[in-house]
Amino acid sequence: MTETNGSAFLSIDGLRKSYGGLEALRGVDLELQRGEFLCLFGPNGAGKSTLLKIIATLLRPSSGRVKVLDYDLDENPQEYRARLGMVSHQSFVYQDLTLLENLEFYAALYGVKDPRQRALALLEQVNLADRYDMPAGHLSRGMQQRLTIARALVNDPALLLLDEPYTGLDEHAAKVLRDQLQLLHDRKRTIIMVTHNLRRGMESATRLGILARGELVYLQEKSAVDHASFEELYFQHLEAV
Amino acid sequence: MNSLQQILFLLGKDLRIELRKKESLVSMAFFGALILVILNIAAGIGKQVDADAGAGILWVAIIFSSVLGLGRVFAREKENGCVAALLLSPISPGEIFIAKVLVNFCLMLLSQLVLVPVFYVLFGSNFSAGPIALVPILLLVNLGFSTTGTLISAISAGTRRNEVLLPILLFPLILPLTALAVKATAGALAARPLTELMDQLEPMIAFCLIFSAAGYLLFPFAIRED
Amino acid sequence: MTPLNRTTFLPALAALMIPLAIGMIFFYAPLERSMGIIQKIFYFHLSLAATAFLSFFVACISGIMYLLRRQRIWDARLAASVEIGVVLTTLVLISGSLWGRPIWNTWWTWDPRLTTSLILWFIFASCLILRSAVDEEGKRASYSAVMAIIGFVDVPIVFLSARLWRSIHPTVIRSEGIGLESSMLITLLVSIVAMLIFWAALFRLRCSQHLQENALRDLQQQLQH
Repeated sequence: MTETNGSAFLSIDGLRKSYGGLEALRGVDLELQRGEFLCLFGPNGAGKSTLLKIIATLLRPSSGRVKVLDYDLDENPQEYRARLGMVSHQSFVYQDLTLLENLEFYAALYGVKDPRQRALALLEQVNLADRYDMPAGHLSRGMQQRLTIARALVNDPALLLLDEPYTGLDEHAAKVLRDQLQLLHDRKRTIIMVTHNLRRGMESATRLGILARGELVYLQEKSAVDHASFEELYFQHLEAV
Repeated sequence: MNSLQQILFLLGKDLRIELRKKESLVSMAFFGALILVILNIAAGIGKQVDADAGAGILWVAIIFSSVLGLGRVFAREKENGCVAALLLSPISPGEIFIAKVLVNFCLMLLSQLVLVPVFYVLFGSNFSAGPIALVPILLLVNLGFSTTGTLISAISAGTRRNEVLLPILLFPLILPLTALAVKATAGALAARPLTELMDQLEPMIAFCLIFSAAGYLLFPFAIRED
Repeated sequence: MTPLNRTTFLPALAALMIPLAIGMIFFYAPLERSMGIIQKIFYFHLSLAATAFLSFFVACISGIMYLLRRQRIWDARLAASVEIGVVLTTLVLISGSLWGRPIWNTWWTWDPRLTTSLILWFIFASCLILRSAVDEEGKRASYSAVMAIIGFVDVPIVFLSARLWRSIHPTVIRSEGIGLESSMLITLLVSIVAMLIFWAALFRLRCSQHLQENALRDLQQQLQH
């Protein structure tokens, strides 16, 4: 993505989303610069997944808008999606294809120049290179999660969205994820992670936020945050539900 | 990025899975052959079936067996949320639609490579035309069935009762196509030239065109979450 | 008008018009020469058919509007018109069948209009089954909108393909003019108008019921959270 001076990488204005009579998001405003790593915490049902899905163009907001650089998210989202990565609750991999075939397919879909080479390099990065021709369905859960992480990175995303990525992750996969996030962060990629795992979220983020009842109730640079009081604030919101 | 290439990648991926697991193809061919055998017995053992009844029997077997494969194509994408992954990727919903139509088209064609010979073995002694005469009709129905079926299977895969709803929603819509195909097939089996069948083939072409366009336009609404 | 008046106006009008139409059918319109009393069913048959077709047209338009606007009201209109349309088509098929038995000597024949009505009945009845199988409101609305649109798109093809069978259905309205006596024509028009008013009353009632159902479910959800 090309950098436009002065304006934010991503800006969200008055975002609302309701399902029937239920308001999942009630006016979220947010601005991120390129290279920032935002970690959003919040209790279940706070609207975290909905927010990520709207940023990912999987859902349309009821009102308000998301702006990422100069991309037109409503009319022509294809270009934007090509630069987007996402890790969700679901693995997004085909059980009957091998690891290599899975990654190669997605790399090809994203128009990566040499899909096979990209797939092999990613398998190397997540320590799965020796199992490249195993069907994804035969992998252990931890390995499948590493494959999921690799899958989200096939297009070297400029914006990576992670929805509860640490849920059910084993130690090895968690380390792989942390290392990959660090690598992306070092290369000035913008990351938004949603989690309720306080420790994992705090360790790599540059900004912290709390989403509760569909509103962004707290947003601060991590350097300016006092860990103990942040924790206390978070638990207050957890209990409020 | 070339959208034709993306369609081919998606088609290639689906066909690769299908050829590896063979679950749809085997069940389609097997079930279709089973229906043919049942109808052969139902028609009365040792009795000759004329072209009109034969055409109906062939299409009952094809339509009922094809619906099995159709249901799997989307159910597979729903496992592990792969539909969301496709919607997140630079491929547009319209291109997904085209790729899935082609997958279904190929599956139907491959299963017909088994069903049509079985049909001729069981019923064929009375027909004056060989299976080649059926090819244009088969191709047209495959196209019409795949476009309508892809749209409807995207809907039924989003509900809790995929297998039950798919035929209930799909069959009424393709009834005109099936009726035309039966009539055209009866003509073809009686060795009437293709030009005499245009009365049926023309509305079939219209059906394919209308449902291709409608499917392409409506498909995004059927697979998106909101 | 006050809200109460508005909701009761159409049903009240329908309650006046339908007996009037029945009265005219039996006491004003002359007895048809060859068919006799059986022909009287035709006034209702035709008005039912017209309103049934109107329902599916409204369903298709509501479907398009829902997909464009994503407003609940269009989903309520779609649901109401599909429901009414299925009921009316059922009545069309029954009344046609009752007429066909003495006149054509058969309950059923594959005439283009009969075939089209039957297939329409299947398509829109399946749309109702679909609605009952989806719990999420947004999904249910999008799916049934797609079905209503594609079902209506199917109509001309169904009719075209059914024409390949020989038609024995009487064609009342031809391009040269209308083949009816004037008193019969007036009776027919009154019946159609009565049925349209009845349709509008029913449509309005079902729409507001659907909207109230939604509002009630919203309240339930808000209470749970």
